[in-house]
Amino acid sequence: MHFLKKLSVMAVSSLLTVSIAQAAEEPTPEDWFNAGHKTVVDALHLHPNKRHAKNVILFVGDGMGISTITASRIFDGQQKGGYGEENSLSFEKFPYLALSKTYSVNQQTPDSAPTMTAMVTGVKSNDGFISVNHTLVRSEPNANVINANKLTTILEQAKENGMSVGVVSTARITHATPAATYAHTANRDWEGDSDLPAGATVPDIAAQLVDFNINGGIEVALGGGRTRFIPSTATDPEYGVAGKRKDGRDLTAEWGSKHSKAQYVWNKAQFDAIDPNKTDHLLGLFEPSHVHYEADRIAHDKAGEPSLTEMTIKAIDILKKNRNGYFLMVEGGRIDHAHHAGNAYRALTDTQQMAAAVDAAVGKTNTKDTLIIVTADHSHVFTIGGYPQRGNPILGLAQGVGEAGPTLDLLGLPYTTLNYANGPGYTGASNIQPDGSKTFTTPATPGWASGSEGHTPTSYKPANGRPTLSNDQVQHHDYLQEAIIPLGSETHAAEDVAIFAKGPKAHLFHGVVEQNVIYHVMAEALELNKHQHSYHHSK
Amino acid sequence: MKITDFLKCVFCIVFLCLPISSLADSTNKITQQTTEVACRYEMSVIPHDKSQATSNTAWFFWRTPNMIQTLVANGDHGEIWQRTVNGSIQYRKLYHSDKTAVEYMPADIPTNNMNFDWFKLSTMLTQQELNALKPVKTTQVLGRNAVLRTGKTNGQTLEVLWLSDENLPASITRNDENRTVALRLVEITPLSAAPHKPIAVEDITNYRHIDAADFGDMENDPFVKKMMAADGHHH
Repeated sequence: MHFLKKLSVMAVSSLLTVSIAQAAEEPTPEDWFNAGHKTVVDALHLHPNKRHAKNVILFVGDGMGISTITASRIFDGQQKGGYGEENSLSFEKFPYLALSKTYSVNQQTPDSAPTMTAMVTGVKSNDGFISVNHTLVRSEPNANVINANKLTTILEQAKENGMSVGVVSTARITHATPAATYAHTANRDWEGDSDLPAGATVPDIAAQLVDFNINGGIEVALGGGRTRFIPSTATDPEYGVAGKRKDGRDLTAEWGSKHSKAQYVWNKAQFDAIDPNKTDHLLGLFEPSHVHYEADRIAHDKAGEPSLTEMTIKAIDILKKNRNGYFLMVEGGRIDHAHHAGNAYRALTDTQQMAAAVDAAVGKTNTKDTLIIVTADHSHVFTIGGYPQRGNPILGLAQGVGEAGPTLDLLGLPYTTLNYANGPGYTGASNIQPDGSKTFTTPATPGWASGSEGHTPTSYKPANGRPTLSNDQVQHHDYLQEAIIPLGSETHAAEDVAIFAKGPKAHLFHGVVEQNVIYHVMAEALELNKHQHSYHHSK
Repeated sequence: MKITDFLKCVFCIVFLCLPISSLADSTNKITQQTTEVACRYEMSVIPHDKSQATSNTAWFFWRTPNMIQTLVANGDHGEIWQRTVNGSIQYRKLYHSDKTAVEYMPADIPTNNMNFDWFKLSTMLTQQELNALKPVKTTQVLGRNAVLRTGKTNGQTLEVLWLSDENLPASITRNDENRTVALRLVEITPLSAAPHKPIAVEDITNYRHIDAADFGDMENDPFVKKMMAADGHHH
């Protein structure tokens, strides 16, 4: 194991230097110096790609704050047998980086709706708003008012310019992040027509996806959220539950009838059978709601569903047929959900999967003509603390350099490297689990009961000190890292998130920027500003 | 009724129904015959520590071949399980005054170790548990034939008055070292003649539905705010 870790260190170091690969040993001081110098030499030879982009791929890790990236990098590296810290996720090797200020017009700590609106329209807005400006009232029901205040998205502009477009997510395809690319509404929760209040004339988000009519409609939409596309008179093909649409529309059928060379799929076998060369429009809805966490996808899914990487590859293979290029948005949507649940393991494994999807996208595109951006909409209150030694298991108890066992706090108790500032991992007794550490899954109840719904408590008693933790316990996949403040759901955080970029115009990302700058870089890369009226002009 | 009381009620039902697998007796196998019934149960939790208060709750239980629905008698919280055409079980928590249902989606059920057994849901005990309890005597409860079945497991005693025709317990009493939990049937009628009817499935369909996985992204939603704050400890 130690040998492998040494090899891993060497492998990473060799990315930075060409001179230290002589032996499988710890890098020498000279190795570190040379590796650092090599990075600078590489930077000196970095030539900005000033061409315009034919294609743009925007990856959004929902809730993928910087601490999540760091922990995922270490987790991924340790799974490969290394110490972990020296590892790099695929997008961390991108040459350009900026920080993104994520606040919305009315929130210091934002939600996914205005943040994605900022990224795809160039305009910051209010909480819960999907590509409409902040002057509206929340839940504005009037379609005319929405139309008068909608913000044109990069996806819409791409279609107007004859490009193909795609949206891929592990969340519901009608969830805030994917929705902001193609829909306009003042309430992110109006995903299906049954979610609309009486009298509302603004169309629901699912209908907006299928009715999208610019230049032949959206080419690729892959994710979850099936029930909002199926009428209440029909049942879900995988689980038999009723559809949610009250208007009688079967949007999955309409997708097939309104587009040429169109396919609708809902399981992996159907997905795998899709020939991109023979398919111009692909709708894939793999679960009634969000798709599985990557950690659970293969073991638990009844009908099988593709990974985020597989969906990304399929999307690119369909979109790249257009000589005018394409815009693709890919969301790792459940990183956010795992954090809300206070479960680092699932957040890290979903981040790891998104990094794999980025890697696949890089492999299928040409950096000369494709701008790839990887960012997050917001962060989470997720911390990496203590003074663990190099290579300490990232999910484990903190153990310092030279220490024979875990580092102890002032109560004489060990603690983990990863923790949350708030959330369901608070160790007081909750109304669901007893005093002490909490787990993602409440043990299955053997008798007649309401079932186990994980740990989403509605009350706590004050913690009595801290629990005594073991490495076996805290490295279990279902362990909930300790939280200081008891909340039923862990919260977003307000600190900046990272923007990684490569390809044409990627060098325009620099410094600390407002989140809406992401749109403007994409628009510049695609030369959209030459062909479109600016927001201010159109107003 | 506060949500904590509702959940206490749920906990107690769970407690009552812990497995008694050591009492296996295959000669007393009970087959499931689901009749459509409407019941009202009362439950008492009696701590052996006299300094702690006894808690009492009551709740309605409605059963059809493919639906189980409950409602806390003096509250507006309930639950519904529906068996779908392909055998899946759809589970929702119901908040009637808010006309809101919280869904637990298929993708999250196995992840969360949910493992719904329709027999358990519709009869409150597993087939194996019932088989393991030894019949002691026959009697009458609310004018219906009942069999007293008893057993002991893990130092705990379990006593069940079982309505054979309805496949339901008329009572379950469980003792452990800390408390006695007693469930008692106080009213049972055919569903069609029930004085208290369950909420129609069609009406529940019209409720607002929220995926439980979305709570974290609904920080400003009034219902979610109320849910998460409902049982906070106010000092």
